[in-house]
Parts: sequence; structure tokens; C-alpha cells
Amino acid sequence: MSAARSPSPEPEPDVSALPDSRSTVRPSLGRAPLVAVLGLVLAACTGATTPRPTIPPDATGSLLPATTATVPPTGSPAPAFPVSLTDDEGTTVALQKEPQKIVSLTPAETEVLFAIGAGDRVVGKVEDTAKFPPEADSVPVVGTFSGVDVEKIVGLGTDLVIAGGSGGTQPEAIQKLRSLKIPVLVVYAPDVTSVYQDIELTGDAVGKSEAADALVVRIQADFDAVAAATAGVSKPRVFYETGDQPSIYGIADDSVYAQMIGLAGGTPITTGSATNWEMPTEKLITADPQLIILGDSAYGVTADAVAKRAGWAGMTAVKNGAIVPIDDIPVTRPGPRLGDGLRLLVAAIHPELHLAVPSGAPAENPSQNPYGG
Amino acid sequence: MAVGQDVLARGRTAVRWPFHRRPLPLAVIGAAALGAALLAAVGLGSVTVAPGDTLAILAHRLFLLDLPRTWSPTAETIVWDLRLPRAIEAAVVGLGLAVAGTTFQGLLRNPLADPYVLGTASGAALGAAIAVLLPVRVEILGFGLLQLLAFVGAIAAVTLVYRLSRVTGGSPLTSLLLTGYALGSLLAAALAMAMYLSGAALRQIFSYLLGSFDNASWAELGGAVPVILIASALILVRARSLNGLLLGEDAAAHLGVDVRRERAILLGLASLITAAAVSVSGLIGFVGLVIPHVVRMLVGPNARVVLPLAAIGGAILMVVADLVARSLGEIPVGVITAVIGAPFFLMLLRRVQRGYEL
Repeated sequence: MSAARSPSPEPEPDVSALPDSRSTVRPSLGRAPLVAVLGLVLAACTGATTPRPTIPPDATGSLLPATTATVPPTGSPAPAFPVSLTDDEGTTVALQKEPQKIVSLTPAETEVLFAIGAGDRVVGKVEDTAKFPPEADSVPVVGTFSGVDVEKIVGLGTDLVIAGGSGGTQPEAIQKLRSLKIPVLVVYAPDVTSVYQDIELTGDAVGKSEAADALVVRIQADFDAVAAATAGVSKPRVFYETGDQPSIYGIADDSVYAQMIGLAGGTPITTGSATNWEMPTEKLITADPQLIILGDSAYGVTADAVAKRAGWAGMTAVKNGAIVPIDDIPVTRPGPRLGDGLRLLVAAIHPELHLAVPSGAPAENPSQNPYGG
Repeated sequence: MAVGQDVLARGRTAVRWPFHRRPLPLAVIGAAALGAALLAAVGLGSVTVAPGDTLAILAHRLFLLDLPRTWSPTAETIVWDLRLPRAIEAAVVGLGLAVAGTTFQGLLRNPLADPYVLGTASGAALGAAIAVLLPVRVEILGFGLLQLLAFVGAIAAVTLVYRLSRVTGGSPLTSLLLTGYALGSLLAAALAMAMYLSGAALRQIFSYLLGSFDNASWAELGGAVPVILIASALILVRARSLNGLLLGEDAAAHLGVDVRRERAILLGLASLITAAAVSVSGLIGFVGLVIPHVVRMLVGPNARVVLPLAAIGGAILMVVADLVARSLGEIPVGVITAVIGAPFFLMLLRRVQRGYEL
């Protein structure tokens, strides 16, 4: 949260029920003890690298009413520079004046910058296979999955880099950019609430605090609409497939996927681990999904192919033909389209609600009530 | 002249080495090529800096010439803080790997030996993976936790291999090689497990395994370069022992080489070079294996001649490979070393096929 802006005097009471609620403190500070705890866990060689708040997937559905509060933070109107911000890794980033040459190293941040009206100042971006927003098409690519072109970023005269945490951007590249005195803001949103905070942080960093607040309100309105529509619905068991090569991948326990499915009125079937995304078929058969959502449909996975997999025929979802494709990117990209993503999930899980879906959504599930009965 | 050189030459009269009698011109050509490669590496990149500006920046910073500032501060940052340390790091790592490769091949009398043969690569990789998985940040002398643990891992692995090989039966060389292979496999299994458990950090481990000079900085150079250069110079001083060992243990002993002691020292120095190299650059294959062979094919087996020429050759190949790698958009440099080096090596192998052996 910006030092230049006074945060809303009282945190929304119901939002504060969230584990990582919006408050006067950036989430990164709250995660500091987690780092220490994880250190011990890691010493035992068990895995996770990133501190992230734990949200039991089965509890995420009940989080839904918590987001109904839509009171926008009434921050000071004119964001003043210089400003000192704390990013999601707890690093203090000082910006002397409003950044004019911004590089975005996560696709979500590119979307955020364009959505809050700072798109004309984006001089470089990370490669985005989804090519969104279209206005960002002409922005030079300065980073890909395999690396960041630090030289190009320097050559562009960049005065702010927004990078991804939790390995989203190579930590070495962040370190190198900072050693060259280029301010780097690291964002990482492990859950929906953090997405709001990152949007506001970005707004503060580029002098667009009000537009960022408005965007957050807009996304929250989407979440509220979904909350109202899905109130009291039955929550079918949903398996969200994230990949089928070389084996079947689902979703990890406290991932944003699990939270989103919960908020969309489903019960997510997770792998049972916070770091392992691989889903053993035996486990999936035992969990017996009532709906299978193909997040990997963009990679050519079809309902027919899923139904033909060995051992899958007995699952309720396969028997009822409840296998639907989805556009994975809005569902998981922690940016302005998160509300769209949630609506897509509701359309897949609860087609009977006839909730409005964003344009450009994939074909609707033909079956009106896929869960039998 | 080195003891053993005549013996080596006499035993292998069937082989013709094109530069056997004139290694000095070859060294001069090599040094000039290295200079040209370094200049190209500093002058070229994803941002265009005028050649005049590049030279002026170098003259200004290297020789402290008081030139009129025709260049932008951005260009100076790119040339001085990004490209030059990277080019130097590539050169020194290439130099080190080639010297270490020459040493290991001679010590183990095995043409397939390379700097990684005694477990250094697996040890370094496991150390790097553990560093990636640990959520702490440390920095000592420009070395991050990853570099430190990679260095420690490499040294620990090769020390363990050496110790274990001493307590096994069988000839010392065979024991060393087989122990290295066995421990390397064990460490590779641990690495695979670490990668499996690493989740989002997998990419970082993977990019270490592929090798890169992307993170080169003056601070990092300050840690690794002195180690590599000093250890390489110390090996060069001991070229006589290396020549002796190449003839076999008995012959070496007859020539007055303290076989066990010299072997341990050379092994230690070559491992130190390898550990310092892999800690800053990751695992870059091929250079340490092939450059020594290329040089031997050109000048014959005398280590006194092979070592300095291999050093120059390794530096050239690595600088050029890194330049190509980053021109093509940060392709792994190990891919390029192999793509450039393998055809050249095969061509040489065809020409000197008669009787070439280590």
C-alpha cells in the first residue's frame, strides 16, 4: 500500500475474514513468518518454494460472501511522487517521479497497465501467447519464458519494471535490473484478494491510483454478481484439468484455481499437495468428479478424447457427458479479466443459472443440467 | 624441454600434427582471434551501440582516457556493466573448462574424460537445486546462494569421489572413474528428486543445468576469475607432471614424478577450476571435452603446449558461442558450443584419423 495514500480508515469488516485480507499492511509483510516456517519445511526437502497463504480449497466456497463488500478505498485524489512502495516480496521501491517508460514482465500486469490507462507508457512487455489486450500487440517483447533481455530494457530507458514473483520472472534478472538502478516492483498474487492489492499497487506506482481503484471495484462487482447468483446452489465436485502430457495434471491444493472454482459454486478436486499438480488417475476415480473442466482445451484436449481414456468411463462426469472446455487464461491470469474468468467458470459449472458470460467465451455446455437428477 | 616430450613424439611418428613444430604462430593467431571475438561480443547485442561509441567507452573506462562524451549513459551501462563482464566471464569459463578438460584427460588417460567426469557437475547441480529450493537470500563477494552451493557441491562431490576411490581395490584410475560414475549417478537421482519437488522453481534449476552467462557482473567476476586463472597457471607450471602421467604410472615414476602426490594436486586444481566455472555459468558441456582434443590434433600431446593453446581455444569458442546464443534470443549456450564445435571436431577427426590417440 502506498505511503502517499491514506488507506481506507476502516478495513471492510467482512473482507477481513479472509486469511490474506485487504488491510493497511501489504500481504508480503504478513507472509514474513511463513517464510521462516517454510524454511523448516524445505530443509526437510518437501518442496514448495514460495510462501503463500493457505486457503483450504473446501473452504473457499464459503469465502464467497466475504467479497460482497464493495466499498472502494477513498484514497487521496492526487497521487504524489516521489512515492515509496512496498512490493509483494517486501522490497521497498522508491519512485522519484511518475514512470514514463514502463516494462511489464507478467502478462497480467500488461493487462492491468492497459486497463488503468497507462498503456501508452508501456515500452516493453513479456511475451503473451494469449495476445491480450490487442492494443499491446505493438509493444516490443523484452522477455520470454526462457529469459529477460536486460540489455533491451536498459536500452529502452526504462524507469519502472513490474516483474512477477514466485519465479514468474527470473530472480537473477530482477537482481540485475536493480543493480543497474532500475526500480523493479515484484508482484505475486496467490489468491483473489492479492489480485486486488496488486492492481492498486500498480496504480500507485504509475500514478493511476483512482483508475486502479475503479478497476478493483469493477472486478469486485463481478464477484458480487456471481456470489448472488450462486448463493445456495449445490456444489458439484469439479476436476479442472490443467494438462494431459505426459500425465494428467489437475490443480494444487491452495492454488488460485481451487479458490476460483469454490467461488464459482463448485467443490474443487485437488491433488492433495500444494506443489504437485499431477493427478493420479486412481485418485481421480476415487474422487469421482461430477464435472470435468478442460483448462487444457487450447492444447487440443477434447471431451471425446477424455471419455476414451482408460479407466475414466466410470466417473460420473464422463457417464453424464459433463466434460466442458474453457478458456484457461481469464480464469487464472491475476488481472483485470478475473471477473470474466469467474463467470466462465460459473457458466461451466452452473449453466442452469444462465449467468451472463463475457463475449468471446467458448461454446456453452450443451447439457443444461449435467449432474443428473 | 619437458621430460617425456621426446618419448611422446617418438612413439607416435605415424601421426602428423599440422602445427607440431610451430605452436607459437598458432598461439598468436588464437590470441588475435580471441581479441576479435571479445570485441565483437562487446560491440554486438540486442541494442545497437555505434562501434565508435563502444570503442570510446572501452577506452574511457579501461584506459581512463578523457574523451568527449559522445555516448549516452545508457550505452555506457550496456557496454560496461552488461556486455563486457559477460564476455570476460565467458572467456574465462571457456579457458578454465578447456584447461580442466585437458588435465582430466591426461590424468585419467581417457579420451572421454571432461571437467565433469568425477562428479563435479552432479554435485554442482544438486547444490544449485538446493539453493533454489531454500527460501533465503545470501550474498558473499558477489556470489549468491546458488553460486555458493554449486561451488560447494562440486568440491564436495569430487572430494568424496577421490576419498572413496582410495579405499576401493583395483587400479587407481579405474577406481576414480567408476567411483565418479557411481556417485554422479546417485547425485543425479537426488537432483531429479529435487527437480520433481521444486514446483515453480523448476525453471530456475533447469536454466542452471543448461548453462548461461546471463547473470555475469563485475562482482561475480571478482569471485570466480582469480580462482580459475590462478589454478590454471598452477596447472601449467605442472605440465611436466601431466606429461609424465600421460605415459603411465610406471613411466612417470621412472621420470621422477611423485605419481600419487602430483595426481592429487592436479586433480584438486582442475576440480577447483571446474567448480568455480560451473558456479557462475551453470553446466556447459562440450568445451572441456573437445577443445583439448582439437588442440592435440593440431600440435601433438605435449601438455606444455596443449594447455595454453587449449585455454585460448576454450575462451574463443565460449565467447563466440555466447554471442551467438544471445543474438538468437538467449538460447542455451551449451547448445551453441556443441553446434559450433561438433562439426569442426568431426572435420578434424577425419583429417587426423590415422593413429590419433590421447
